[in-house]
Amino acid sequence: MVNLNTIPPKNNRDFYIAIGLEGSANKLGVGIVKHPLLPKHANSDLSYDCGAEMLSNIRDTYMTPPGEGFLPRDTARHHRNWCVRLIKQAMAEAGIKDPTLDVDVICFTRGPGMGAPLHSVVIAARTCSLLWDVPLVGVNHCIGHIEMGREITKAQNPVVLYVSGGNTQVIAYSEKRYRIFGETLDIAIGNCLDRFARTLKIPNEPSPGYNIEQLAKKAPHKDSLVELPYTVKGMDLSMSGILASVDLLAKDLFKCNKKNKILFDKKTGEQKVTVEDLCYSLQENLFAMLVEITERAMAHVNSNQVLIVGGVGCNVRLQEMMAQMCKDRANGQIHATDNRFCIDNGVMIAQAGLLEYRMGGIVKDFSETIVTQKFRTDEVYAAWRD
Amino acid sequence: MTSKREMSLDYTLELQIPFETEGQASIATKVLSPDPILKPQDFQVDYSSEKNIMLVRFRSIDDRVLRVGVSSVIDSIKTIVETIDELS
Repeated sequence: MVNLNTIPPKNNRDFYIAIGLEGSANKLGVGIVKHPLLPKHANSDLSYDCGAEMLSNIRDTYMTPPGEGFLPRDTARHHRNWCVRLIKQAMAEAGIKDPTLDVDVICFTRGPGMGAPLHSVVIAARTCSLLWDVPLVGVNHCIGHIEMGREITKAQNPVVLYVSGGNTQVIAYSEKRYRIFGETLDIAIGNCLDRFARTLKIPNEPSPGYNIEQLAKKAPHKDSLVELPYTVKGMDLSMSGILASVDLLAKDLFKCNKKNKILFDKKTGEQKVTVEDLCYSLQENLFAMLVEITERAMAHVNSNQVLIVGGVGCNVRLQEMMAQMCKDRANGQIHATDNRFCIDNGVMIAQAGLLEYRMGGIVKDFSETIVTQKFRTDEVYAAWRD
Repeated sequence: MTSKREMSLDYTLELQIPFETEGQASIATKVLSPDPILKPQDFQVDYSSEKNIMLVRFRSIDDRVLRVGVSSVIDSIKTIVETIDELS
């Protein structure tokens, strides 16, 4: 049993307030979360049911033109330009007037992510902490996704599929840690989709993956998949080869290379495959691999719940395929959230950070706030779970 | 490579940044100090504050590394100043 009420809320309030700052990739997010102080949390395992209320959840995404990705330096500059404005706006929305009295903890992403953007946000977090005399908590980005997903969906102990632009992991909780059961050996699934979107020169707005999903829906030849490598390696995945192979096909298609027998009919030279078909096949292929390792992880830990988090988790087709797999298992349940909570945001950092804070985990020295590009999910001791 | 070339940090710069109060200068110093330098053999920074002035001393192996390092520290200082201006 865990006592989430070890640290009482500041100023004799009967609720906690946490500000979360997220900036590990091209999204800058500021979120404010409120937890009521409830007696039931004093001796229970209810970290998935905090009664959290989102007072504000603001996000600003650094957008690049079609065919271009985001670079660390430019992304950091974007975050620096917007960070203070976003914090101000979030506090106004949440009705916080005096942060010294009204905020219990400031949570920031310590990693994993791109170094420069992470650093530009932590500078603002440290300054606020000293200005307001509010403690800091550093949060692992992946744990943020997991805890937000659990709070929203009320999934008690799910197998977590964390799929985003920088991470692809299958995670399950055991003995105070979120253990990684399987992960990508090279690039993340979101990275694979984003880079294919760059090859196709389709817009990055609202997100490259979303645009691929929309194209895939319009695929005219859904009955015949374009063959791509299927690279599940034990519990792990490899996606760079798939990207190279689908990139090659797209380039042949744009160049009208009739010698390519997959794309053009051998005799008539007629085009058999469209860009939409490539998007469809790429998605089907990648998602099938994810479903396979997720199902195996579920069998491992004897779980029947799946929680999908991360930016790619918004993909309805992935949710559909996962739901189908769950349906075939006894009492299988799938949990997913919408784009407010799937895509990187500040409230998830606030949620995970507040759990840590309520267990007494605060930064005692600024040397603990140094951001890190590599920060694995299983390095975090999940004190708030039983 | 026969001998390891010993580089000395001969290129230096000192910035004095005035804040409105002593407290603000000390906040800025505390915020900037913890971050490690990626290549300490090429570039070093020391932060200190005296009354309402923050002193930043840079030492580097050449002017290019110095320029890059200084500009990134100034970027961070801008964020700190904006945060102090807008959120205190």
